[in-house]
Amino acid sequence: MSDLGTALVFWPSAAIMLVTALYVFITSSMARAGLLLLAALGIEGLIFVALASEFLGFLQLLMMSGEMVIMVFFMVMFMPDPGGLMGMDMTHDKRRSAAVAAAVTVALAAVAVLTDWPARVVGDDAPDVRAIGFEVMGRSMVTFLFAAMTILFAMVGGVLLAKAGGRYGIGAPLGEARGEPGD
Amino acid sequence: MSTLTPLGVLAVALGGAGCVAVLECVVAGTRLAPATMARLASTTVRQPLRRPATYDSWLFHLAPGLLLIAAVMALATVPWAPGFRGVDFQAGVILFGGALAYVTPAVFMAGWGVGTPLGVVGGFRWLALMLAYAMPLAMVVTAVAAPAGSLRPSDIVEVQHAVPMALVQPLAFALWLPAIVAVCFLPPFDLPQADSELGGGAFAGYGGLDAAIVWLAQRVLLVAVSGMTAALFLSGWHGPLLPPAIWMAVKTVGVATLVLWAGRRLPRMEVDRTLALAWKVANPLAIVAIVIAGALTLAFYR
Amino acid sequence: MVSLPVVLAVAAVLFGIGLYGALGQTNTIMVIMGVELMLGAAMLNVVGFLRYSHPDATSGAFFVLVVMTLMAVEAAVGFALVISAFRHSRTAEVDDLTELKG
Repeated sequence: MSDLGTALVFWPSAAIMLVTALYVFITSSMARAGLLLLAALGIEGLIFVALASEFLGFLQLLMMSGEMVIMVFFMVMFMPDPGGLMGMDMTHDKRRSAAVAAAVTVALAAVAVLTDWPARVVGDDAPDVRAIGFEVMGRSMVTFLFAAMTILFAMVGGVLLAKAGGRYGIGAPLGEARGEPGD
Repeated sequence: MSTLTPLGVLAVALGGAGCVAVLECVVAGTRLAPATMARLASTTVRQPLRRPATYDSWLFHLAPGLLLIAAVMALATVPWAPGFRGVDFQAGVILFGGALAYVTPAVFMAGWGVGTPLGVVGGFRWLALMLAYAMPLAMVVTAVAAPAGSLRPSDIVEVQHAVPMALVQPLAFALWLPAIVAVCFLPPFDLPQADSELGGGAFAGYGGLDAAIVWLAQRVLLVAVSGMTAALFLSGWHGPLLPPAIWMAVKTVGVATLVLWAGRRLPRMEVDRTLALAWKVANPLAIVAIVIAGALTLAFYR
Repeated sequence: MVSLPVVLAVAAVLFGIGLYGALGQTNTIMVIMGVELMLGAAMLNVVGFLRYSHPDATSGAFFVLVVMTLMAVEAAVGFALVISAFRHSRTAEVDDLTELKG
């Protein structure tokens, strides 16, 4: 993308992304919080595309929609006030965490702006998909395998954690109906 | 991607939606009723902003727009002819899958926004179903992209110049067809909005301009997925006598007719059975399809 | 115009917002959302470096791929923990989940 094109896409997208990310923690409706997070991370995918990483940008768009709707699912299940009707305050230590976050932001932004980064390398395109594919299957195969194994263990572990009664199938704790439907 | 591409995509979207409307009347055996359509159009124009009582009116009114944007973005990735390949990104099929993935939150927003119990249930049912279908869809796209060695839709069309992918990978094709019908929430997978299911479900509250946009978005989605099916599985624009664009149009219309006809003939499965089939049958078979695609690539497509 | 310090600064602000959420929210799921934002900010950093400093560093693109995947995995495991905790003590608030026993 040309410099002008990148700037035209980047600035509004960055502004919207930051505002929606902040609103995730301000809104009291849980469905809106999940969908605002989807907006923020989806627009981040758009920013990736503007920064010439098309493959990563489209992947980010694809994955975030699935993840965030799952998050909305879980929020409606487990939060005390998913509709935001009662206006409960879901925060603790608001001022201290805001202070810490602001301090960290200022520190990181100072490093970003004040460092003398090396001069820009000529070459407008991020690695193309074939090159990423060869990298994944060639040089980074070991890392890829470990990531795959981590995902597998996480899947199995997650299912075990979520099962009522855990891995021994001993039975649900007191107060819940015994046995799972459909077994 | 030239500057005329967006205009071309919009033209295909609107023209395609009109063709699908005609196709629906043909498949249903009813006659075209210009009087009815004119009356509907005038109602939409005269009362565009019906404001029903909604629980979350922001999400309610944003949902049709998101649906339309997702549909048009999916349509933009479809390659129609060697001269008009849509937005020909090198990771184009990933954008297709990503755009289709935004149908999920859009229908959920419609259901949640309207706030009626049946609407919310419709929205959540849609979430459950789409999560189950989304993965076979993405995995089949991978299986089809492997022989082409590229994620660009026009490269996948080019690799099929001799044999269509539907013959080479029938399992992938068999998994793809139900998934795309489900994405368009057409029968037999129209659980979120069927009239007999949940009293109209997620889309029951819409009227006026919102309903028109939802209608348009559903038609554009059908055009997009039919076009992509023709491109990925049916050799796209390759064919003996006719020009490429005509072949593409013929194949797209064929797939759309098949989808609409199947919707009228097949009964709607209930939610539990559909979910069980999707998770226990479709997902493992999609992984098998990827393995088969890998073997085929090594054997024939080097 | 857009340059490396700009991208890194935007990512820094996103990281700060995620940190505010992760530290300041009481519900576990909101904390997970804060962590997702922080990981998103890290990815934006890497993509910025990929564009402006090392355009042919495919290992950077692979890093973003792995982080994206692990975002999803971490959220999944977090949700499983929330289900398990909710079953046990009927709450998903970090302030109430203070006992390891049970």
